Amino acid sequence: MNDYDACIVGSGAGGGPVALSLSQAGYNVLVLEKGPWFTESDYFKDEMACCRKSVYTPKLKDEQHVLEDYDEPDGKGGYKWKATPTSESGRDFWNGNCVGGSSSFMSGFFYRLKPDDFRLLSAFGPIKEANIQDWPISYEELEPYYTLVETEVGVSGHATRHRFSEPRSSKDFPFPPTIEHPVSARIDHACEQLGYHSLQIPRAILPYSIKGRQGCSYSGFCGSYGCATGAKGGSRAALLNRAVETRRCTIVAHAKVNRLITNNQGKLVFVEYVDQLGKVNKVSAKIYVLACQAIETSRLLLLSKGIKFPNGLANNSGQVGKNLVFSAGGSGQGDFNYAGLSRAEKQKLKLRGPFINRGLQDWYFINNKQFGRAKGGTIDFLLRHPNIISRAEEYKWGNDDKLVWGSTLKKNLHEGMTAAQTLNYEVFCDWLPTDDCFVSLDTNVKDKWGMPVAKVRLGYHDHDLKIGKFLSEKARKVLAQMGAENISGSVSGSPPQNLVAGGCRFGNDPATSVLDKDCRAHEVENLFVTDGSFMPTGGSVPYTWTIYANAFRVADKIKQQLGSKA
Amino acid sequence: MSKLDAWNDSLSEDLLKHLQKKISRRKFLAGMLMTGAAASAMPSLVLSAPKYSTQKEPWTTILIVEDHLFPADGNGPSARDINSIAYLQAVMSLDDMDKEEYKFIHQGVGWLNDLAKETHHHAFVALQYQQREQLLHKIATTQAGENWLSVLLFYIFEALLADPVYGGNPDGIGWRWLEHQPGFPRPSESKRYYKL
Repeated sequence: MNDYDACIVGSGAGGGPVALSLSQAGYNVLVLEKGPWFTESDYFKDEMACCRKSVYTPKLKDEQHVLEDYDEPDGKGGYKWKATPTSESGRDFWNGNCVGGSSSFMSGFFYRLKPDDFRLLSAFGPIKEANIQDWPISYEELEPYYTLVETEVGVSGHATRHRFSEPRSSKDFPFPPTIEHPVSARIDHACEQLGYHSLQIPRAILPYSIKGRQGCSYSGFCGSYGCATGAKGGSRAALLNRAVETRRCTIVAHAKVNRLITNNQGKLVFVEYVDQLGKVNKVSAKIYVLACQAIETSRLLLLSKGIKFPNGLANNSGQVGKNLVFSAGGSGQGDFNYAGLSRAEKQKLKLRGPFINRGLQDWYFINNKQFGRAKGGTIDFLLRHPNIISRAEEYKWGNDDKLVWGSTLKKNLHEGMTAAQTLNYEVFCDWLPTDDCFVSLDTNVKDKWGMPVAKVRLGYHDHDLKIGKFLSEKARKVLAQMGAENISGSVSGSPPQNLVAGGCRFGNDPATSVLDKDCRAHEVENLFVTDGSFMPTGGSVPYTWTIYANAFRVADKIKQQLGSKA
Repeated sequence: MSKLDAWNDSLSEDLLKHLQKKISRRKFLAGMLMTGAAASAMPSLVLSAPKYSTQKEPWTTILIVEDHLFPADGNGPSARDINSIAYLQAVMSLDDMDKEEYKFIHQGVGWLNDLAKETHHHAFVALQYQQREQLLHKIATTQAGENWLSVLLFYIFEALLADPVYGGNPDGIGWRWLEHQPGFPRPSESKRYYKL
């Protein structure tokens, strides 16, 4: 007799849909979450809590990563890999460890993938040294679940038809767009002049109160911040609260899973976790679901060795941890100076609260001299982040890289911080999977429970940079057309750790994939993975909507496997 | 420069690595995120009620150093106006204040005073304004000295711009000066980050 029908490890965008779907269908569900259980009453617009202290993420001395960069001189004029623990570098690679996971702190830019994202290899052909694979499912199979997410999570916006827009089974979004900033119209105007097609970007943010969640309060502090109203469609606010209301979903916070335990036949029989008091517990379930975000899911599988799995659970193919992807691209900015503006114009430009909600997908697919037929990406526009301490700190270094203080510092600070509004852009393009981007276990560094931490090699494909630069130039043209000054930007191979997927890609061939098309482990009949780990390629948009949709899809497969509920 | 060299040499590599987080010019160390997300976390510290006193070292010296770093020059608030010392004292009074960093802040005062005595035969605070400023520029030419000043500035920025609930930025004086509109809701005392 099992303790639960399903045990889900992780409560973010991969775990929430499964918990809700199964508990609503009558199954008993346990969710184990390593972090604490914050609610709306714990979320404030406090830069210290949000971004300067490890409040929503572990302290690096307790839990960390080891990151491998290709930047150590090899003495022969080239470079070699260098591994650095994040507790030494301060380069925090966590994204939100709490009930709701990192979806609690997202900005909620919501994009679907497009049909050709599911068949990148067939549509665009191979790229040397990139491990591109078609997905084992099509867009059409995921489409109903994208639509489901619009109502279940709450997506606001207007569906805009354009050259590369993906098919939709419903006409429009269930919620109208959030209020927009005056700068949005200026972006539209500039794009029109350039012959570009600015798009209104859907957001996982409720414009008004509904279903026990309050609408957006337009505080202007969204990305990186927990939502104090519940308007942001994080997994906890949108899904887990409702799962708990069914009385069939139990969430245990501060529950750190050590390993998954298999029997001699290779079937999962227990999950072992340490609770807040340090007690080691074992629970059993018919089905086990991993959704710890890509890096930690791979790590947990690698840590879970058994008689049938000497190299880690579901890893006899050696594929676990491989083909990790981030989002490639870059970011940049331009300033709109207040000088010469009327008071009213300045106030309009400075306005804090409403959203920009604008993006460009004119080059989602490219066909030009430089690239031929190729996959491009997405450009997003957004106001500069409201965090002021980190922004002010930049002024302590002068142009000569020397420390600045005294009246010079204060003058620079005041002039710089009060002179202009800044519009940022971000470019999202495919981070091609390669042999140089993967998760393994570090052999030296352990977490506070004595378990080896994840070592992540952060290699990128040069092609990503070329596409990123191409798109960045387009974004900069928009800023220039708008009359922005100090336009700058960068494209690099440094990964944004909050946009991570892969590591357990799904596919039809057990030799080259970890999961089957239903996201069940090829080798373990009662193990599913529902975070972004399944993605063989990532598409050129943020992942969250796709993770949500796929998790709802897999939940239906799990229900089929569990059979009818008496 | 013998004192300064000695100071530099006395710093362990571990400490310098730790301080990298607070002094680095390299932007990637602040974490690279996308979709409008912000920079990553710093090592956690827990604040307690500030006891504001500068009668004893290192505070006597730090008070004067901060008068140079963030002066009362008529352009916005000074280090004193933003309760910078009280803020730093609160930060440093905590259990999980990094011990090496704590020691480093204290050590810096010692070295600065040694240097002041060596060059001017008086403690730092007893010197003329220009003499003090020259000494600060002198120590800033060494890695250790620059790190020390940079760490003090790190906490001055927090005292200037963190929510007033943490003891600095009284009545949002720093926010008003830089025309910053804070978000809402703002944290109450019971919801400061270390109480969450």
